[in-house]
Amino acid sequence: MLLRDFFSAETVQLDLAAETKDDALRELVSVFGLDGKSEGILYKMLKRRENLGSTGIGRSIAIPHCRSLVVNRLRVAFGRKMDGLDFKAIDEKPVRYIFLIVAPPLEVSNQYLPVLGKIAQFGKDPDVPDALAALESPEDFLSLLESKGI
Amino acid sequence: MHAQLELLLEIQDLRTQRHGMEDGTLADVESDVFAVEVADAIEILDEKLGELETRLTEEIGERYSRMARKGMRAVAPVIKGICYGCFMAVATARASEAGRNSRVENCEHCGRFLYHVV
Ligand SMILES: [Zn+2]
Repeated sequence: MLLRDFFSAETVQLDLAAETKDDALRELVSVFGLDGKSEGILYKMLKRRENLGSTGIGRSIAIPHCRSLVVNRLRVAFGRKMDGLDFKAIDEKPVRYIFLIVAPPLEVSNQYLPVLGKIAQFGKDPDVPDALAALESPEDFLSLLESKGI
Repeated sequence: MHAQLELLLEIQDLRTQRHGMEDGTLADVESDVFAVEVADAIEILDEKLGELETRLTEEIGERYSRMARKGMRAVAPVIKGICYGCFMAVATARASEAGRNSRVENCEHCGRFLYHVV
C-alpha cells in the first residue's frame, strides 16, 4: 500500500491554530473524531513517547507516534504550522510539518512500522520541506504523496 | 470511564511502548530515526509503570500481576463484541450495554480486563 492511501483530506490541517507543541498534538488528535476520553488518553501516550526523546527529526519535520488501545485501526494525520513550533527537535529548529501516526497494539495487517518508515523516508527527501511549504490545499498534500510513489 | 480501567489502559499502553523499545525493528527505527537512547527509554518506562501499578486496587492489581507475570496482555480491546485477547465473542448483552467502560469487567473466556473501543 502507498502512503497516499492512508491519508484523507479530512485529516490534513494546513493551518494549525496551535501555538505550542502540546496544543498541536491535541489539535491533530482531534481530527480523528474520537470521543473526548479517548482523545485524552491518546494525547497522554503521545506525550509519554515525546518524553523518551523528541520525534522532531530535523528539517522542520516531526513524526509523533504511538500505539494505544483507544484506536481500532491505524490512523494518520498531517498538520502544518508555518510559523513553526518549539518541538525540542534533534536539530533544535522549529517544526512546521507534523505527521501523526497512531495504531492499536495489535493490527491484523501490521502497517504501523512500514508506515512509520515510509513517512521517515518521505521526510528525508530533500525536496519535501519546500513542497510542504507550497501546499495550498489538502488535495495538494495527497498529490505530493502520490507523486513520490512511496 | 471507570478510573481503574483508565489506569489499566494507560499501563497497558505503556507496556506496549516498552515492548516496542525491545522489538528489534521498531527499536532500530526509534534509535536510528529518532535518536532515542533505547536503554534509557526502557528505564524511564519501567519507573513510570512501577508507579502506575501501585495505584491499582489490591484486587485488580493482583489479577493484573498474575496475567502480566505470564507475559499476557492484561487488557484486551473489545471490537464489535469480540475480545481481541482470545478472539471469542463476549456476551452481547454486556457488549451492547450503554455506559460501556464504566465498570471494570473481565472476559469470561480468557480473564483479561476488557476495554470497549468506541
Ligand atoms: Zn477474552
